[in-house]
Amino acid sequence: MDAVCLRDVTKTFGKTVAVSDLSLNVPEGSVYGFIGPNGSGKTTTLRMIMNILYPDRGQIMVLGESRLGACLDRLSYMPEERGLYQRMKVRELLEFHGELKTGRKVRRQADHWLERLGLTDWATKKVETLSKGMSQKLQFIATVISEPEVVILDEPFAGLDPVNAEVIRDAILQLQSQGVTIVFSTHDMGVAEKMCDYVFMIFRGRKVLDGTLDSIQNRYGTDTIRLRTDDGTAALEDLQGIEKVTDFGRMQELRMTADCDAQAVLAAIMSRTRVHSFDVVKPSLHDIFVRIAGPEAREVPNA
Amino acid sequence: MRKTLRLVRREYKAAVKTKGFIIGLVLAPIFMGGGLIAFAVFKDRVDTTDKALAVVDRSSVIGQAIVDAAERRNEKEIHDAEAGKKIKPAYSVELVEPDHGDLERQRLELSNRVRRGELHAFLDIGPGIVHPGEDPNAARIAYYARNSAMDDMRRWLGWPINNRLRKLRLADAGIDESEVKDLFHWANIDGMGLVSVDVASGDIQKAKKTNEIEAILVPIVTMMLMFMMVMISVPGMLHSVMEEKTQRIAEVLLGSIRPFEFMMGKLLAGIAVSLTSSAVYLIGGFLVIRHMGFEGFIPYAVLPWFFIYMFLAILMLGAVASALGATCSEAKDAQSLMFPILIPALIPMFTYFPIVREPMSSFATWMSLFPPFTPFLMLLRQATPGGVPAWQAIAGLLGVIAFTLAFVWVGGRIFRVALLLQGTPPKLGNIVRWALRG
Repeated sequence: MDAVCLRDVTKTFGKTVAVSDLSLNVPEGSVYGFIGPNGSGKTTTLRMIMNILYPDRGQIMVLGESRLGACLDRLSYMPEERGLYQRMKVRELLEFHGELKTGRKVRRQADHWLERLGLTDWATKKVETLSKGMSQKLQFIATVISEPEVVILDEPFAGLDPVNAEVIRDAILQLQSQGVTIVFSTHDMGVAEKMCDYVFMIFRGRKVLDGTLDSIQNRYGTDTIRLRTDDGTAALEDLQGIEKVTDFGRMQELRMTADCDAQAVLAAIMSRTRVHSFDVVKPSLHDIFVRIAGPEAREVPNA
Repeated sequence: MRKTLRLVRREYKAAVKTKGFIIGLVLAPIFMGGGLIAFAVFKDRVDTTDKALAVVDRSSVIGQAIVDAAERRNEKEIHDAEAGKKIKPAYSVELVEPDHGDLERQRLELSNRVRRGELHAFLDIGPGIVHPGEDPNAARIAYYARNSAMDDMRRWLGWPINNRLRKLRLADAGIDESEVKDLFHWANIDGMGLVSVDVASGDIQKAKKTNEIEAILVPIVTMMLMFMMVMISVPGMLHSVMEEKTQRIAEVLLGSIRPFEFMMGKLLAGIAVSLTSSAVYLIGGFLVIRHMGFEGFIPYAVLPWFFIYMFLAILMLGAVASALGATCSEAKDAQSLMFPILIPALIPMFTYFPIVREPMSSFATWMSLFPPFTPFLMLLRQATPGGVPAWQAIAGLLGVIAFTLAFVWVGGRIFRVALLLQGTPPKLGNIVRWALRG
């Protein structure tokens, strides 16, 4: 069963089409990643799922309910911009958010999550005294404290240091292991690749990718070479069958044309310089993202 | 409703548990009634420096009477009888011979003495003061001082001068003053309410004597209290919604609560805060009034109306404030919207005086039946001794209820759309469009 299902959803703001004829299915218990450039319609889609914004057209079903907002209490949402009552105390704030959703006391859950995310010592402190990372963890707890069936997170890792990002990532995966459906948006393609069962990409309001990482990568084929050489990009100029060279400093990435032979490319490079590593791989999500949304994007595909 | 009440609880606690609320609770009545309190407290703080008066008595029959009256006053009135402390200035009177040749020159010289501080003022009594009908210009009395319009000495002079004139005129008419004492008795007219019938016993109820406190002060204080309650809560709602929008708290809450529930939570919390404040003021006021022995002036019959109107006024204006707060992304936007929101509370403050003087006039009736003004002006009229006809109270109430429902409905539509729009200044066209289309 799908936790979230959108059918031909369109949302406009004045003359701007934010989301156009969007359909997608988020399977229950999955981690579903929303990617897309800024202003592509990710947040609008998440807000429509949360019934914060109403679609102009189309149907949204959440946990089997198509009535708008019918199961609001079974979902939880963490917006991209964090919003916390600064003058409330940490535990008091969590209890407020939990009680607002569930209608029952959530002291036990609050203490559990505070301990889980290392904020127990701050339980009686005012929110305004917390650092940015702590505030973000607190916002995450406020989102999940009501034990929702679907958790929607808009950029949950934005601005977090690696340690705190890992703490949040572990918490998300733990929730998934308990059967919770996670939908989150991110600009971090590495996170999306590693964490998401399904990846959905929206560009200019239209769906351009949707599926498992493998299925997405398979669409693009094995057209990428990652290599390390002594001379870097200097040895990669004017290679036959290579349509793009991306320099990452110590490593370069080459994109082959459809009829290109990787062996011929390897031979050509070896004739110019010493090769330390040479891998023929599927394009990364980052690369696919850039191909669709970058300045070189030729045409927006429909997924 | 559960969520709304949970939000109300948070908002209420956040509002009343602050030092600002406690300080505001004390300061608001001081600001509102500060003038009256200061007047009461400082009314005896008068300048006790002795004052010298020069009298140019061109009639030759009044000056000495003023000298005598000033001496009696200095002897009996300027010291506190019990403490012996000086509480008023002594008046010394200097009789100056009139200069019949150059009157204006004499006046200039005396004016210069006032300027130099040798005199407080000088009095010029016309030669024909005893019989003003013969030549009104010769019967003038002029008081010259730096600030003659607001001068205690000028007010005091009225009594000894007129008393002396009365005696002189009686003597001229050949009448013995002791035989016509009643001639000078001033008849007062008692203000009374209307006689009524006791519903239970059928007995005729005597009319109550009215006075200015009951007729003017009680209604004004009641309306002022309403104004204070509105001012305590409504501007706060505008800022609170704007803050929660700009700090993105609103979006977090909208993940748990519908926009209308969110707005109602704000409104009901505002009402709860005002109920708390009004309870403090009413209980405090009741204790003070009872202690002062004026318990009979408390308009008990109006109190239920006060709470009903307060509930509706805050709901009505609070809905507008919340909706417009949701359209603001910056403090200056909220600042510029504050005045239009408070117009329904401010206009009654500008118009209450003619209404309280003539509460049954058609101006008073129609103004108080205009729903945004009803909570203030109908309450004002209801608190006057005669009250208002029952139909007006009911019509006013129905009008306010209808307006409140409409304001809450429209406010809810604007609130829902505007709350998530960041960086869009509140334009009238947008607000109207959101109100119409949602």
